Amino acid sequence: MRTPTLLNFAAMLAAASLLPLDGAQAEDGYTIGVTAAMTGPAAATQAPVIEMLRIYVDNLNAKGGVAGHRINLIVEDDQAEPSKAAANATKLIRQDNVMLLIDSSLSSTYGPVIAEARRANVPLWFAGAICPKDTHPPKPDPLLFCSTGFDFGYDIPVAVDAIKAEAKEPVKIGMVGMPIPISRIGIENAQKQSEKLGMETVDVEFIPPTAADYTPFATKLKSGEPNWAFAYAPWPTEVRTFEALRRLGWSGTYLCYGHIQAEEELKRVADGGFQVFTVNAFFQDNMPVQKEIREMAAQGKYSYPASYADEGWITARALQQILTKTGWPASAEKIDAAMSTLDLDTQGLRGGPLVWTSDNHFRTKQYYRFYRYDPEQKSIARMRDWLTVDVVN
Amino acid sequence: MSLQLVANVVVLTAIYALVSTGYVLVYRVSRVLNLAHGELMMVGAYLLVATAGMFSGDPLLALLLAAICGLVMGIVVYVVLMRWMTGEAVLAAVLITIALGILLRGLSILIWTTQQFYPAAIFGWHNPPVKVAPGVQISAASLAMVVLTIVVYGGLFIFLQFTRWGVRMRAAGQNPLLAEQRGIRLHGVYAFAWGLSTFTAALAGMLLALDSGVESTMATIGLKAFPAALVGGLDSLLGAAIGSAIVAAAEIAAIQYVNPLLSDVVPFVVLLIVLAIRPWGLFGSREQLDRV
Repeated sequence: MRTPTLLNFAAMLAAASLLPLDGAQAEDGYTIGVTAAMTGPAAATQAPVIEMLRIYVDNLNAKGGVAGHRINLIVEDDQAEPSKAAANATKLIRQDNVMLLIDSSLSSTYGPVIAEARRANVPLWFAGAICPKDTHPPKPDPLLFCSTGFDFGYDIPVAVDAIKAEAKEPVKIGMVGMPIPISRIGIENAQKQSEKLGMETVDVEFIPPTAADYTPFATKLKSGEPNWAFAYAPWPTEVRTFEALRRLGWSGTYLCYGHIQAEEELKRVADGGFQVFTVNAFFQDNMPVQKEIREMAAQGKYSYPASYADEGWITARALQQILTKTGWPASAEKIDAAMSTLDLDTQGLRGGPLVWTSDNHFRTKQYYRFYRYDPEQKSIARMRDWLTVDVVN
Repeated sequence: MSLQLVANVVVLTAIYALVSTGYVLVYRVSRVLNLAHGELMMVGAYLLVATAGMFSGDPLLALLLAAICGLVMGIVVYVVLMRWMTGEAVLAAVLITIALGILLRGLSILIWTTQQFYPAAIFGWHNPPVKVAPGVQISAASLAMVVLTIVVYGGLFIFLQFTRWGVRMRAAGQNPLLAEQRGIRLHGVYAFAWGLSTFTAALAGMLLALDSGVESTMATIGLKAFPAALVGGLDSLLGAAIGSAIVAAAEIAAIQYVNPLLSDVVPFVVLLIVLAIRPWGLFGSREQLDRV
């Protein structure tokens, strides 16, 4: 009995040696590295982006890849921790020899990842995460790009102007943020901006993500008697504060940034005074591209509602265009050059195309929509169609 | 201090007290500091998501089933993991609980992803505000948390004082060797203590989930309740309740009168002060601490 078993084992080894190894695959394809907050406190926003990217890439590979070459997407979880992001970047660049690095995590992870990308001269793309200033025109870092919809530099003035325009009486506003850099800067800017427009800021609450109960924060906010509240924070903080305010009997209007969860959540909360502004279209529009996303999400067993997938879809389509322009053989330099000529038709998911040029690695225009739940119609109502803001140099 | 602030203190006290019950039960009986307690609470909340999906038309059945699963989960944790730590160094058992916490966090993301779930919405329940005094409102889920915490503490008091299993549990905690010599099956008692601990954790997780949803970071609330248990004394249920009240009051005072950002720090500041003055906690046993 022993001999046949050994023979079988030897045959298996021989067969295995004929199979392509990962390294061989990597040499024959586009190797793209991702460091992302797939778990941890930022995962609710980041993981859906990367999961859709993976599904899209799997789908593309099943159809033969790009220019006949597979895309090898290597995803490493950084749990939104700078040390893990640094280790991921080092591993992806030095060990996996990636041609492009994608970062989808908290801004606190950017420093070491940017440093590693610069050392290796590998382009670094921020997708579904904050766009660093270094991607903005007129002199972006040659290696840094960003496709993420939101950007506090543009979001805040748009939101504050919208409150001013909609308010029918003098505005007393309460602000809600989280003690993380983007939220703090955003809320501080909102405070300055609102005061410039003659609004009175009655309270600012930075709520730690570990809060067991949001009522104490809402109590303090409500004690200032605001008729408006503005939140710029991760989604759980935005929505939980609103719900706590309502349970305390607050009757004002609440505007917040609409993260990927917003469409599902507006329906759940079902409150006419809960408004969101977003950069991506809601799936209730039922556009052809959204139908396509739904189908691919179902086929790829996407773990989240399909409406969470738009940011990942835009990232994936941009990647496809970049690699198509890069052609074969590919290198980090060629991918970097192709990225500077991105002109992506967002097919209605955003208000216009996503364009990168050699002097603008962010976009040329930023678009916003405003939504709220309409209790009478029992559906989400679009309050304001695409508002276009020029990205200034 | 307005009445609303008092109500907020009571609700936060109830949250911390219900969570810290689990720390105390396990420590009191088996001298193990369960650092996976927050994760077990989170899994309890996710169990409600699962049962709510199956019995969306019958919330009570879903809640009951999830609570029973919570109890069973604790017994399984003891039988599969902690039982083998009997007789080993306490530190080894504590490290095992840390590993268990990491494992549970990973598993919960694999099963339930990082999406936020709202079991209340699955039941079609809107968690309405309840007026508890003139001008004072709390959510219905918060009110349920307060009531349930009182029931759990009352139930545990009766159980530990007046029932055979309760007396066995206390005996096992005070002197395991003597208890075993008197015929008490220690593994059975320990397993039941773990079951009760995760049962109360699951109750807390379920009510928090009914109030504001559940996602993968809920476990951190368990960590925030830990100082409350330590302030009161790790082997005292009364201490856990009073410690929770002290920590909750300090936290809400910081939010209201100093800076909301301090709310994260204040429980640990209170803990440091108490430990500096009375290292075994306000109602803890000095003897037990020396043993550790």
